[in-house]
Amino acid sequence: MTSIQIEELQFQYPSANDPALKTTSFKIENGEAFALLGASGAGKTTLLNLLSGLLEPTSGSVKFDNETVNRVSGGDRNIAQVFQFPVLYEALTVQENLEFPLKARKFNSAFINERIKNIMNHFEMENLRNRRIGELSLFQKQLVSIGKSLVRPNLSAVLLDEPLTAVEPRMKWKLRNTLRQIQKEEELTMIYVTHDQTEALTFANRVAVMDQGHILQIATPDTIYRQPDHKFVGSFIGNPGMNFVSATFIRSTTPDTGGTKEIGFRPEWAVLNSGQPGDLSGQVKTTHLTGTTLGEPIGITWVSTNAGEIAIKGVLNHHPKEQVEIHLKQYLTFHNNKRLVANSDV
Amino acid sequence: MFKIKDNRAWLGVLPVVLIVSFSGVVPLMAVINYSVQDILDFNTRFFVGFQWYQETLQDPRFIEAFLRQVAFSLSVLLIEVPLGILIARGIPRDGWLTSVLLILLAIPLLIPWNVVGTIWQLFARSDIGLLGVTLNQMGFSFNYTVNPVDAWLTVLAMDVWHWTSLVALLTFAGLSSVPNAYYQAAKLDGASDWQVFRYIQLPRLRSVLIIAVLLRLIDSFMIYTETFVLTGGGPGNTTTFLSQHLATIAVGQFDLGPAAAFSVIYFLFTLLFCWIFYASITANHD
Repeated sequence: MTSIQIEELQFQYPSANDPALKTTSFKIENGEAFALLGASGAGKTTLLNLLSGLLEPTSGSVKFDNETVNRVSGGDRNIAQVFQFPVLYEALTVQENLEFPLKARKFNSAFINERIKNIMNHFEMENLRNRRIGELSLFQKQLVSIGKSLVRPNLSAVLLDEPLTAVEPRMKWKLRNTLRQIQKEEELTMIYVTHDQTEALTFANRVAVMDQGHILQIATPDTIYRQPDHKFVGSFIGNPGMNFVSATFIRSTTPDTGGTKEIGFRPEWAVLNSGQPGDLSGQVKTTHLTGTTLGEPIGITWVSTNAGEIAIKGVLNHHPKEQVEIHLKQYLTFHNNKRLVANSDV
Repeated sequence: MFKIKDNRAWLGVLPVVLIVSFSGVVPLMAVINYSVQDILDFNTRFFVGFQWYQETLQDPRFIEAFLRQVAFSLSVLLIEVPLGILIARGIPRDGWLTSVLLILLAIPLLIPWNVVGTIWQLFARSDIGLLGVTLNQMGFSFNYTVNPVDAWLTVLAMDVWHWTSLVALLTFAGLSSVPNAYYQAAKLDGASDWQVFRYIQLPRLRSVLIIAVLLRLIDSFMIYTETFVLTGGGPGNTTTFLSQHLATIAVGQFDLGPAAAFSVIYFLFTLLFCWIFYASITANHD
């Protein structure tokens, strides 16, 4: 129930040569579901720890509702956190675990019962109420962990650090939907850290993509997918990621200052045929079936061209070793890894 | 099905069997053999059945030494275990201070028993010892060679000094198995320091503490050298524990039969105590 403002925030571990988080500013709105996406080592956890108060910024500030909280402990920031693995009081029962944060804050028992009932309904764990943590499965434990973090009322923010890593894929969807539902109901500001693009893109209102301590882009899942600001975002998101082909400027509104120039296109932004000359030509290397539409096999075709290997998504009607032409329907241009906003012909 | 039988592997076990029998089984059998005989000299011995056992169990000096032993072992556990945990919780998880503290803690454990006795014998002397003189200067009349209470306090202090480190080091090892996320979560939950200990640390320390308690129990039940050097069991018999009483019978009076019976009883008691402790600690958790 708090907006979080990050201003010129930077963090460097005392023994490191490079900052783990490069200077960045952005704002997470009140009640927003926000995801931090990146490979491991990208700085996601560092940023999360700065938000939770576990780390103190090297420079810049973290503001909760316009109040600087750089030196305020996590408990006083009134945030909750869910970890990669279940973190619970193992000698206590499920109910006692859920009560714990409320009792520590001295809420009255009627209110506590109300909250616990609510959480148990959401996560369908009424039948686990009196079980000890040791008797639960990993999934159930993580469920209780998430429940325990959400049980407190009026949280300023809920930080989730890859909470579904330990959860089997079948249950991931369900749990993510439950989280999203609670997030909406209670208008919680939720920050979700993950290396899984599907999780991030389906969970969040906005996604921040990180690489090597940089936040490369913050945008809605749709924009992230269609208009990646950075080459890394294009190649990291999507399965397979964006194709990149080096190019040269023919005509441009920006002066040519040298550096690498590329065009990027998603595998579904191009079609293959073997007749008319296309934008690129090459030989089919392998095909990978992913399903069918209207009885036609669809999947990914990998084509070796003189510009490198290109993945094309669509109907599979070409065989390995076949000579094919690639026709681009749509593409983006990149200069020094950054997307050119002004239109250029390449 | 045809199975090749090759029993030569048993030869591999042979060294262990030999070592265990010579170090454990054979001496124990010899002691049991002695305990049912009256041995006058090397060639003159009579079978006396359980007479020595009966006499030992009825001997007031044995009973007193036994009660003293129990009191001592319990006091030692009651002081060393909480103190050790307290110290372990105070050691930072990492950093240069951690290694320094761990080394400092390990030092008492490396000192031979009789040296520990000697150190405390000198340290607590009321005429020249730092501790004894200081206490007397402060107005306490302290003399462990005369006053039984002073003697007990000195023996306890010595044992605490010598062995609390063991509990502290074991506990520290146990504590380092607690992932940081647990402390972080507890902080966010608003848990008090006591709750962190009670609900996060203690459950994880269970197995380590069982080992610590058993080691200290067994070891304090066998205490001999340190008290022998420090007080010699005195003043009077007030710090004479089981081992020392046994040594007086066996080596001092050379009563091999009663000493052997004593040993067997002693052994069984130690076993019994450890079993009771182990069973009671592990029982209510399964």
